[in-house]
Amino acid sequence: MLTTDAIAPHFTLPDLDGGTFEFTGGSVLLVFFETDCPTCRLLLPYLNRLADHLRATNVKIVAISQDDQDATQRAVGQFPVRFPVALDRELNVSRKYDPAAVPALFWLDELGKIARTQLGFSKNELNSLSAEICAATGVEPAHIADAYDGRPNFKPGCLSRHLESSTPSAAAERTDLYPGSAQRASRIELMREADALAFCVEAGYADPLPVVPPTLQSVEQMLQQTAREPDDVIGLIPPNYGAATVEKIAANAVMAGCPPEIMPVLLAVIRAASDERFNIHGVQATTHFAAPLVVVNGPASGELGFACGQNVFSNVARANSTLGRALQLVLRNLGGARPDAIDMSTLGNSAKFSCCIAENEEHSPWEPLHVEHGFDAQQSAVTLFAGEPPRGISEHKTASARQVLRAIARCLATTWSYRVCMAPPALVVLGPEHAKTIAADGWSKQDARHFLFENTGVPIRAYTGEEEGEGTAYAQYFEEVTVNGERCYRKFKSPDAIRIVVAGGTAGKFSAVVGGWGSGPHGSQPVTYPVDD
Amino acid sequence: MSIVLVNPLDETVRPVRKPAARLTSLEGSTVGLLDISKPGGGTYLDRLEQLLQEKFGVARAVRQMKPTFTRPAPGDVLQKFADEACVAVVEALAD
Repeated sequence: MLTTDAIAPHFTLPDLDGGTFEFTGGSVLLVFFETDCPTCRLLLPYLNRLADHLRATNVKIVAISQDDQDATQRAVGQFPVRFPVALDRELNVSRKYDPAAVPALFWLDELGKIARTQLGFSKNELNSLSAEICAATGVEPAHIADAYDGRPNFKPGCLSRHLESSTPSAAAERTDLYPGSAQRASRIELMREADALAFCVEAGYADPLPVVPPTLQSVEQMLQQTAREPDDVIGLIPPNYGAATVEKIAANAVMAGCPPEIMPVLLAVIRAASDERFNIHGVQATTHFAAPLVVVNGPASGELGFACGQNVFSNVARANSTLGRALQLVLRNLGGARPDAIDMSTLGNSAKFSCCIAENEEHSPWEPLHVEHGFDAQQSAVTLFAGEPPRGISEHKTASARQVLRAIARCLATTWSYRVCMAPPALVVLGPEHAKTIAADGWSKQDARHFLFENTGVPIRAYTGEEEGEGTAYAQYFEEVTVNGERCYRKFKSPDAIRIVVAGGTAGKFSAVVGGWGSGPHGSQPVTYPVDD
Repeated sequence: MSIVLVNPLDETVRPVRKPAARLTSLEGSTVGLLDISKPGGGTYLDRLEQLLQEKFGVARAVRQMKPTFTRPAPGDVLQKFADEACVAVVEALAD
C-alpha cells in the first residue's frame, strides 16, 4: 500500500456519467470503495458533508468504485454521493495504490504527494482528516462525523477487491519453485529526499533500526557488482516463496548498509538460504531460537573486510554486520517471516538483527570449513548454519587438547535440551588459543571432532533417577557410551553432526558452541555455497 | 529534490483462490484430521474426533500425519483427504 510521502501515481478512469476522470496532480481525496462493503456504505455519506463544505475550493473528492458500472450505479442510487464516482473495474488503479482494505482514503496534497491515508471507518479519523484538509485549503474546519448520531464510531473495512480471489477455481495451481526470472521491482517516487527514511519505516521495509533508503542510484551501484541480470531469480524465499531477484536482493542490501562489493557474497548467502536442505521454511516459522548464522571462508573474506578476529560475533566490521542484516531483511521482506507475525520464535535471538562470522584461517592450524565441505581453499564460500545463540566456554587452566575438548563437550551436551540425544548438529567455534592448544598435542581437526563425538554424553543417571522430561521418552533409541568412566547416552548420532571452525581473537582461552535446529532432513542441515557471481 | 526508490518488498503476483463453499452441516460426513506430528497432536485429535462424532454427527474421520512439522505437508498426504472424499479437514498441533 502506498503510504505518506509517496508521490501519487497519475491515472485516468471512466466515471459514472460516461465521461472520464483524470488525475494529474492537485489536491484530491481519493476514496476506494466496494459496492457490497457495509463499511463503505457507512462512510460515503459522511464525505458528502465534506464535499459540500469544500464546494468553493479547488479540493476534489473522488470515489473510486472497484465494481462495474451497473453495481456502482445501483449502490450510488441507494445512498446519495454528491461527488464524482470513477470506475476501476480492471483494478489497475487499485493495484497502483494497493490499499489493504476498503474504504481506503488517500489524501493527495497540492504537491501531488500522499499526505495521509486511512482504512476502514472511524469518526475520529474522519474528523481529523477533515481538519487537515480544511487547514491545508484555508477554509473553516468542518466537523463531519458526530459521535452520537446513532452509528458506530468505528468499523473495520473489507479486503480490497484487487486482493480477492482472481480465479474461479478453488484448486491450487502448482508453484514453480525454480523460475529463471521474475518481474522487475516497482519504483516509488518521493517528493523530497528528506522524506525517504520515514517512508521506508512507514511502508514496513525496515527492521526496527534505521535503513538506508534503496534509491535507484544506490541499487544500480549494487547491481554493477554482479554479472547477473536484475530480474534473475536467485531463489524463492519461504514461507511466502517471494522471488528473490538480484534487484530485490540489491535493494535490501542497500537498506542494510552493505558496501556494494559484498553483493556477490550476499548472492551466495541467499542461494544457500534457498537450499531445501537448509529448510529456511521451518527455521523462520519455528518457536525455537534458531536463526541463520553465516560463516565466510576463502580469499573474499579478507579482501572484503570480513572480521574473523576479536569480537567476531559482535558489531566489529561493516561487512559482517551488513551482510547478516541484508540476509535478515531479505527473509523478512521477500520471505514474509515478520517477527511480529509468522516468525513465531518464543524468545527470539539477537542473531536476527545480523549474524555473520568469518573463519580465522590465518590462525587456524587446520583446513578451513569450506575445504572440509569440498571446496578449494582459494574458492571463497559461505556456509549457513541454523543456530541457537552461542554458549561460551572458558578454559584457561589446561594446556592439553583432551581437557580443552572435555570442557567443550560438557557444553555440547546441553544443546537443544540436556536430555535430548541424537541431537541437532552443532557448530563449535574454537578460539585461536584453544585451537593452538589442541594442535600442539598433534591433533588434527578430525581427531578433535572424533574426540568430541566420543566424549559428549549425557549420564544415564539423568534419565533413571529423575522424572520424565524432554528426551527421556526416546532413551531406548539412544546409544550407550562410556565418558570419563561414566555410562552415558551419546549426544550426537555421528561425528558429522559436529562442525568446527576457528574464529575470534588471539588473546583469551575461550570457545563457543552453537546448537542447531532439528536433525537430518527433517531439520536444518548446514549448507555451503561458492561465491561466484 | 524528488527521489526514486526501488521497492524492496515481495511483489510476486499470485493467483488468489476462492475458498471452498462453506458447510451448513457435518451430519453423516467424512472429516479429515491432520496431525502435524508434534508430540501432543494425537491426544488433541482423538478428543476432537470423539466430539465431532458425538456433537456434530460426523460419520467418519480420516487421520493423516505429516512426516515432520518442520516442512509443509507433502502432496500425497493431502491427496489422501481428497481420495477419501473428506468435506473438511482440521489441522492441529499440540506440544
